[in-house]
Amino acid sequence: MDLAELRVRAACGGIATCGACTIQTIKGEFSSPTLAEWQKIPAVDRDNGVRLACQLYLKSDAEVFLQDPAPTSNWKSLDLNDWSDYNTPQLDLNSAIYAIAVDLGTTHIRLSFWDRKQQKRIASRHGNNPQVALGEDVLTRLDVHRQRGEDLQSLSQIVRDAIIQGIRDILARDIGEIKSILEKVGLVSIVGNTAMLALLSGQDGSQLYDPDNWEGHIPCIPEDIEAWKNAWRMPNAEIAIQAPIAGFIGSDILAGILAINMTQQTEPVLFADFGTNTEIALWDGKQIWLTSVPGGPAFEGVGLQNGLSADAGAIRSVKKKDDHFILDVIGTDTPKGFCASGFVDAIALLRLDEEIKLSGRFANPNPEGFYLDKGNPCTIIKSKDIDAFQRAKAATAAAMQQLLALADISMLDLSELWVCGAFGQHLNLHNAQLTGLLPSMDCSRIKLFGNSALSGCEKMLLVPDSKEINQQLRNKIQVINLSHYPDYDDCFINHLRLIPFVGDK
Amino acid sequence: MFETYIKDYNEAVFDIDKETALEVVESALQQGITPEQVVFNIIIPSIEQMMALIEKDPDTNLAQHFMTAQIAAGITETMLTKFSTPPEVIGRVIIGTAYGDLHSLGKRIVIGCLKSMMVDVVDLGVNVKAEDFVDAAVEQDAQVIAISSMMVHTATGEDGSLRVRALLNERNLENQIKLVVGGAPYRFDHELYTKAGADNWAADGVTAAKIISQLILEVKAS
Repeated sequence: MDLAELRVRAACGGIATCGACTIQTIKGEFSSPTLAEWQKIPAVDRDNGVRLACQLYLKSDAEVFLQDPAPTSNWKSLDLNDWSDYNTPQLDLNSAIYAIAVDLGTTHIRLSFWDRKQQKRIASRHGNNPQVALGEDVLTRLDVHRQRGEDLQSLSQIVRDAIIQGIRDILARDIGEIKSILEKVGLVSIVGNTAMLALLSGQDGSQLYDPDNWEGHIPCIPEDIEAWKNAWRMPNAEIAIQAPIAGFIGSDILAGILAINMTQQTEPVLFADFGTNTEIALWDGKQIWLTSVPGGPAFEGVGLQNGLSADAGAIRSVKKKDDHFILDVIGTDTPKGFCASGFVDAIALLRLDEEIKLSGRFANPNPEGFYLDKGNPCTIIKSKDIDAFQRAKAATAAAMQQLLALADISMLDLSELWVCGAFGQHLNLHNAQLTGLLPSMDCSRIKLFGNSALSGCEKMLLVPDSKEINQQLRNKIQVINLSHYPDYDDCFINHLRLIPFVGDK
Repeated sequence: MFETYIKDYNEAVFDIDKETALEVVESALQQGITPEQVVFNIIIPSIEQMMALIEKDPDTNLAQHFMTAQIAAGITETMLTKFSTPPEVIGRVIIGTAYGDLHSLGKRIVIGCLKSMMVDVVDLGVNVKAEDFVDAAVEQDAQVIAISSMMVHTATGEDGSLRVRALLNERNLENQIKLVVGGAPYRFDHELYTKAGADNWAADGVTAAKIISQLILEVKAS
């Protein structure tokens, strides 16, 4: 239930010691009450079907009533159930056994809390980056910040506060202790895009405006690290901001590369992390060709008329039956808008119906936009949304084509294409290929991996020689700035049509 | 006779269908239309019509802008090599994006329009230093420097067009070399070009090409 909007109250992490997570069963078949439930729940409540949510298993579709939910929170658990173990060696630790992985994104923050001694993830959370209130993209935020003439620390403080709130949410609900656990945190590893990490470390982001820094290394070393540790009540923690690779290539991509074991592959591998900036990495067996292109906010949902991130109310996939659309909505029946994967489905289906032409324009003039559900204005797709999507997908496809050309690798030679970031697990590959978002290669070679950066960041917590491994990885990276390649513009324009991306010209 | 070709060509460009647009040109050539006629009687009228059409159409998309300019420039360049006598170029412009700005696509549209309107273009690329603009204009005998900026801080920053203006002034080149600017910030504030030290600005590719042609003629006449 922690994945949903409504959360039960909790303070022990689901081991039936706090008794806070009471919930009333109304209809359906459930597991029998456990001993703990007999002890914690008064008889009168028990007779009314009251149970502890942490002990309750469903045996059928069921109806439950949550009379007293936990206060609404920015933070929800991540669904990481299908992640396999990392099989990292046992760490020799006696104190400061806890560690925290943080993926700091432009729109979202993801984090997980680990017991390193037991090599066990205690819990994970994702929430919004509160800076979104200042602007959707990084440069807008910096501009707003400059124009307001605010204290340089404030953007940094907003994010630091948000991260520690997410951590405290885990401690309060999944462990039940806060202060004593914070004291035993030995490592916080933070990956993210360059601008976010620069701001987090207390810089004003002005280096990002300087062209000399775009391909260079931007150190993100906070000057106030002791004060920061104090503010977070983590006296024994090393707070490690994993340095970005270049101006527009963050350390989130480094984590993603680590997560998929890219450099251990013998065959060429292509990796794309879709988002406000889309980073693309190509492993040719010896080195990693790495670049970044603007995705625009189209892939994060937020730039579209009815765009949402992949949270409750977002249409995550669309199918067509007879002449109406079937919308799969996250967590509810009433759609509030599209997340990126649902939007791709919609575009592909409208293309198949010839409602949208190859040029991206509506076949019939449609100033109101196209309603997938006649009665719901939240299901409208506007022509400017399609335009934004076309530019984002063309930038990605052109970047993939340029990297393949530079490394002299054919698309046919790719053993794997990893699709990470904004699309999560729900991207329909066939529809993505139909619109030209993903190259037309055998779908069995395409892997979806939603939280790759967090996974890589977790590995950094658990591997003893993590710093050396990171450095070795960095040494294999060749950063490519596509604005130095005149062919890129032509390539971009050629990819604007909504046609499959066959590559290898 | 040209009307049919213009119509077919425009329809293809409108649908950002490059292959069909090229086929229209190819079939025109096969019907005995000369490369000169392709440029002057099909491409140039068509690009003006297209831009006017796109500007008026609320449903227009950026893909159409890019494609219009890209196809026109590509065809013009091919046709120029086939002209019976070397093409008469009206003048030369040095173009690039402002220092600190990597956004190249707006510039791309302007280059497409300039080339199809017989202006010789020297493209210095992106993130161009003010000194490089001025040096190139002097070395290559250009009448105009055109600078594209997509962000407010590169449009009005002191390393951008303002610095070019200062250099033109210092070197006493202001009568020989004119300075024009374009890009998103200028569309929001129509007087911004004066703050950027420019002689003029334009909101779209065709207007830019016309304004630049006009300035070239003024410089040549003086």
